[in-house]
Amino acid sequence: MSYFVTLKSVGINTSANRFFFQFSAFLLGILSVLVISSCSKDPIRPNPGPPDPIPEDSTTFSEGFFIINEGNFNWGNASVTFVDSSTNTAHQNIFQEVNNRPLGDVAQSMKVMNNRGYIVINGSNRIEVVDLKDFKVIKSIEGFNSPRYIEFVDSTKAYVTNLYKDISVVDLTTNAITKTIKTPEWTEGMVKYNQYMFVTCIGTFTEPSSRRKAKLLILDTKDDQIIDSIPTATEPLGIVIDKKLKLWVLCSGGWDGYASPALIRVNPELRQVEKAFNFPTSEVPSRLDINPTCDTIYYLQNGIYQMPVTASALPSQPLISSGGRLFYGMAIHPIDGTIYATDAIDYVQAGDAFQFSSSTGAQIRKWDTGRIPGSFCFGETRISKK
Amino acid sequence: MLAYATASGQHLTDTLKLKEVEIKASFQVNNLGFKQVKLDSTILIPRLDAKLSTILSQYSTVFIKSYGNNNLSTPAFRGTTSHHTIVEWNGININSPMLGQIDLSQLPVAQFQGVEILYGAAGLSRSSGAFGGIINLKTSPDWNNRLNVVVSQTLASFHNYTTTLNAEVGNQNFQSHTRANFGNGKNDFPFYNDYTGQREKLTNGFYTQYGFSEDVFAKIKNRHLISARIWYNYSDRDNPPLTINFTPDFVENMKDKSVRSLVEYKYVHRVFSGTISSALIYNRLRYISNVQNAEHQYYSFVNRIGGSYTGIRNLTIRPGIDLTHDWVNSDGYVNRKQRNVLGGFLELNYIVSKSITLSAMAREDVVDGELMPFIPAFGVEFNPFRNINLSLSANLSRNYSYPSLNDLYWDLWGNPDLLPEVSYSAEGGITWNLLNRSKSFFIETELSGYYMLMRDMIVWSPSITSSAIWIPENISEVASRGIETGINATVVFWESNLDLNVTYNYCRSTYEKETNPNGSSIGKQLIYTPINTMNASLRYKKSGYYFSYLFNFIGRRYLGKENIEYMPGYNLSTIFLGKSFKLNDIILSLQLEINNLFGLDYQSIANSPMPGRNFAITIRGSFSRKSAK
Repeated sequence: MSYFVTLKSVGINTSANRFFFQFSAFLLGILSVLVISSCSKDPIRPNPGPPDPIPEDSTTFSEGFFIINEGNFNWGNASVTFVDSSTNTAHQNIFQEVNNRPLGDVAQSMKVMNNRGYIVINGSNRIEVVDLKDFKVIKSIEGFNSPRYIEFVDSTKAYVTNLYKDISVVDLTTNAITKTIKTPEWTEGMVKYNQYMFVTCIGTFTEPSSRRKAKLLILDTKDDQIIDSIPTATEPLGIVIDKKLKLWVLCSGGWDGYASPALIRVNPELRQVEKAFNFPTSEVPSRLDINPTCDTIYYLQNGIYQMPVTASALPSQPLISSGGRLFYGMAIHPIDGTIYATDAIDYVQAGDAFQFSSSTGAQIRKWDTGRIPGSFCFGETRISKK
Repeated sequence: MLAYATASGQHLTDTLKLKEVEIKASFQVNNLGFKQVKLDSTILIPRLDAKLSTILSQYSTVFIKSYGNNNLSTPAFRGTTSHHTIVEWNGININSPMLGQIDLSQLPVAQFQGVEILYGAAGLSRSSGAFGGIINLKTSPDWNNRLNVVVSQTLASFHNYTTTLNAEVGNQNFQSHTRANFGNGKNDFPFYNDYTGQREKLTNGFYTQYGFSEDVFAKIKNRHLISARIWYNYSDRDNPPLTINFTPDFVENMKDKSVRSLVEYKYVHRVFSGTISSALIYNRLRYISNVQNAEHQYYSFVNRIGGSYTGIRNLTIRPGIDLTHDWVNSDGYVNRKQRNVLGGFLELNYIVSKSITLSAMAREDVVDGELMPFIPAFGVEFNPFRNINLSLSANLSRNYSYPSLNDLYWDLWGNPDLLPEVSYSAEGGITWNLLNRSKSFFIETELSGYYMLMRDMIVWSPSITSSAIWIPENISEVASRGIETGINATVVFWESNLDLNVTYNYCRSTYEKETNPNGSSIGKQLIYTPINTMNASLRYKKSGYYFSYLFNFIGRRYLGKENIEYMPGYNLSTIFLGKSFKLNDIILSLQLEINNLFGLDYQSIANSPMPGRNFAITIRGSFSRKSAK
């Protein structure tokens, strides 16, 4: 019972027999349209838009690199962009083109071992194992708890970090999970040092940073046991190893601004934090990487920062400023040392990827990508002997 | 011109005898020159087992985003989003103050008698923020009713069962409505999963839902009208995993309990009428998944005093004030949050001449002690001919939409500094109708166009650290323009009745602002917003038999702001076949419904499977007795 007086009476008007005939004709027209248009039986599901065929002569995906596009959480629009290094052209959505099905929900990372690509699909809880000859799926590994990254112990065994519960141990010969290592929840980055795998562990995903106990877990790769841990600053994400065999861990400080971010240096022999470089609390650095000579580290903090491992303070200016772009992913090419970064634009449209010079920061190349480009994969992983 | 005296004609009966066209204009312009559309009992009665989401998607051009049967379904009009659509229950906003929207799958048709769809600024004096429009679910008394009972039982595919009961009893001065509905189902329908390349059966689709309501209406000497309503609704449902989700032992369950109550007193005098109403709405949602276990509770206490004065020649003045108090206790918030909105409004309606009516509306809100910008609207209605029912109308308005409490306070991700969103809109329309002299043929058509510019739109986007963490900001600007047209026709011939309704919408709603120099969204269509939508229905009745064919077309919806990836358009057909028998005073109806007649394999939201061809059988009994007029 609203206080609007809404019902309007309809007046009575002159007779309209001719309307009757026009109306009948109109009706027939409508009906025939309905019947014709209802006959399509093609499945109606997300359509990636115009196809982007892979060049005929491209029989191998080893000559080039991959951009892993996360896609939006719960939208199932993750994809892989392949950049052919001979022509420097980007081919979008290659997984779907080759396998005739979508990749999944939130593609977090990809690594290559034994000429096989391991694409970690966080939201779908899967790893898609593809043959790099043709990008055809060899196997879809299931049973993870929101997988993040894969790191190879050797050519037959890998560890996969998860957002929840555990670290998964994957046998690369059978491509199956053989074991799980229970953890205090969210594990992220990994680096191998001697027989040990150092794993960043953030704490319980659903808890605020103030209640999380962040640490580095040390796994013995011989028996897959956690043998020790080192407390770190809040939200340790990336981890790299430098030429002096020191570990560098980038702690983002957490998304809730509870703690200040820090870049810490860890001595893996003594299992101790040696040095901590603190960022202002308002900053949220991410995407730690190191150059091929292992003497300069890089990270994102709006812009792209470069810092020699011998520096005594954090760099005050970025090497490459964002200039309105939304840098989301960043990696250093493992051979030529150039900087690769992505712009996720606003997360709801296709992004861009760039290659920059590591000496001047000048842009060398730019490519189109898929939705939310987050990481790069530069081919076969070399197992370090360290 | 008493509201309650005109709101008749909504009896819950199956009409068996039809000699004349029932005159019901559904395309209307309200007294302030704004467009509105009505769905009445002739549409709702055969669909007592359905939810509001189904009815709106089949009979209106309000776009419904649906995650599937009995699953989250939200409305959007005119290229706006679901939180720009206000859902009301007898004029009271029942959107969640936390989300600023409501799930239409939780509103069973058995619990209301009519749906009023107000477009654009039509409901501006009742509440701010409805850039798209208002959907009002109505229950109202028929003072001629003595006894009217409708009972229905539906058995549907995929183990779905619905029972409804509706009893209306009373006399010229008192009416009582009792309504109950109970439904449950498994929704274990087969579908093809692109990600696995296999035909699968939907898992985790179980739901149970029941509701009960009681409305009482009392009239004293045609002067005083008192009503009291209470509506309890409970649902327990599992959400099926998206086709992309391979979580082992997937769990997602929601238990939703709501109690809505409303008391209203209306006094009617010769030139004055006044209404005072008070509503209390409570909701508790319990959400459980593999990784979360959360509870959210809220109360909304809505109070309103409104009046109408017609003592000045050709002028109607309607002032009013309302006070809304929202209270939220949520696991998603650091502590309990409240919001008080005090609003004052004024409507003026001036009849310039027999053919021209002018109107003005104004609203001013104070949110938590802070004065919000002024909200004005102006309208004009022009009826140029005496013998032709042609009406032209136009209006201009500015409107504000306040951020939802989640936007402001969601634990650590909310943004308390958000500004209200603003819209500027202009619209114009023509309606025409005609009834022939023998009253055997009625036709009406409508054409309207609108333009709306929305600024400071709140967008949640992922933070720098993780794409799973989203933060709201006033960063977007959207322009929406479109054309809406429709035709309804009814013919009575050879003791039978034929009805045809067709509506078509064209909507271009585009991004007008980019935050990133590498973006390419300007001028591109909003994601998940179809440019073209069309509905058509054909209904035929003869000697107790009835047949309906419904057709819905939803055009392409883009999945990215650059408009490359998209969900292809689809059209769905539904048919109803029924027969009503008269056994003394009881009318028994048997009805077969076939949904998705052509077995289309489609999705409304990417990766949410929808059922193929499916069936429902309904048996409905009704008994009605009226007082002599």
